[in-house]
This record gives sequence, C-alpha cells and structure tokens, in this order.
Amino acid sequence: MRILVVDDSSTMRRIIINTLTKIGYSDYLEAGNGREGVDKLSAGPVGLIITDWNMPEMSGVEFIKAVRANEQTKHIPALMVTTNAAQDDIAQAMAAGVNNYLVKPFTPDSIKEKIQVVLKSAQAA
Amino acid sequence: MQITAQLTAHIVTATVEAFEMMVGHPVELQTQGPEAPADWPSHVAATVAFGGHRNGVVCIHSSATTANTIAGAMLGIEPGEVNGEMPDAMGEVANLVAGAFRTKLAAEEPVSMITVPTVTVGSDFSTHTASGSVRQIYPFRMGNEAVLVELVLMDR
Repeated sequence: MRILVVDDSSTMRRIIINTLTKIGYSDYLEAGNGREGVDKLSAGPVGLIITDWNMPEMSGVEFIKAVRANEQTKHIPALMVTTNAAQDDIAQAMAAGVNNYLVKPFTPDSIKEKIQVVLKSAQAA
Repeated sequence: MQITAQLTAHIVTATVEAFEMMVGHPVELQTQGPEAPADWPSHVAATVAFGGHRNGVVCIHSSATTANTIAGAMLGIEPGEVNGEMPDAMGEVANLVAGAFRTKLAAEEPVSMITVPTVTVGSDFSTHTASGSVRQIYPFRMGNEAVLVELVLMDR
C-alpha cells in the first residue's frame, strides 16, 4: 500500500516516513503542501493520506476537502497529524473529511496505532 | 501583563514533551530568568509567533553544534551527516513547542493562532524585545548541551 505524506517540513516528513518504514510501510510519496498532494494523487493509487494542517499554498483542511470532492480520491482514508489540537480545530478537520487525528508531538507507537485504526475502519467501510 | 506560573508551566511542559517525543533527547530545565546568560552561544534562533487572544513569540536558541545534534536525532542520522536540513529541523522544534503551548492555553482561554517558523542562523547576533512586552528565558540542558527557550508576550 502506498502512503502519501503531506507536510511542509521535510524534517517532519522524514520522521513520519522513518516511522512508517519501521512498522512495515515502505511505499510512500511525499508532498510539501496540499497543492502538491493533489498532484501526487493524480499520479497513481494511494491507500492512505497522512497530512499536516498548517502549510503554505494549500492547507491540510483545504487539501482534504479537495480529496473528498474528487470521485477518484474521495474514498482514500486520511489521518491528520498537526499541532492544532483545540477542540474547534479537531471538529473543523473532521468536518472537512479527516478520518482520524493525531496531535504533535507524537510517539512512534501513537502514530502506528492511529494508522492501524484508520486502515481498519477504511476496510470495514 | 506578566508571565504567570501557569504560562511558565505550559511552556516548560511543551518543551519537555517536544524534545522527549520528537527529538529523542530529553531536556531538563535549569534556573530561569528574564535575561539570557551572558555567555550564551546562540548561533541558531528558531521563532514561531502567535496572535489572537494572546500575542507573542516562542524562540528556541542553541549553538550550531547543538542544532545539528537535534536535527540528526530527528532525521535518524548522525549529527555529522546533517547537510542543510538543520534550519528546517529547528523550525519544526519551534513549531512543536509553540503548537503545544497554544494547545495548552486553548484549554483555558480563546484560541490563538501560530505562524510558520522562521530560523536565523549566524555567529554574532542577539535578540531584543519591543517596548510593551515581557520576556522570560528558560535554559534547558540536553545531556551536555544547552538549549534556551524564550517566551515573549506583547501587550497589544
């Protein structure tokens, strides 16, 4: 399964990808903002999106809205990984179509657990 | 306007959590005060501002050597292998600390917004605050290395 990691910080993308590799997911794509994320999705099938919220050009929430508005991509499960952790933030992200939410800073175990929850719920749907 | 014990607790906890979880190097708070130590070797300053209900900045200072140690730890490589990634890594540390600080405040008051990080790298600079602002310096030890966290609140 290919995972699309969208974050404007190359460091954070590397942390997430290192964690994904450790837990057995080595097929991934990277994007530096939502606009690049949309472009990557048009290049081939993706089984999971992991996206930041605060990014230049197109934010994570705008990106997920674009994903959900597209017939080809609306089914892809999405995990938002962000420092935005106020209740209003979470409600806004879920309303945009995010399947689950992880607050930075996070541990490798916590992102692994969230990925498994998102993938399991997507399989059940 | 003052930096209360509650605000201090939030910024210290945010810093400790960010370093423990995302850097993999725990930090320990030393004696805090309004001014940086005179011999402070700040070669890297990563800043995130926040605005809304509260206005101010969170800034992470370190030497270039320590910044490379932090970047290497975050990227999973040796400090000597860090090649241009350090500013992004330090910016992300500032983002993590300021973001967690914002989240802790949001549980008690209207939410503020944070900016994208900016990182200054150099060998001969100092940071100063504008009038109408208050500042607190939080020196941390990361093993044998030093990291300084600066919190500035602006009265506007």
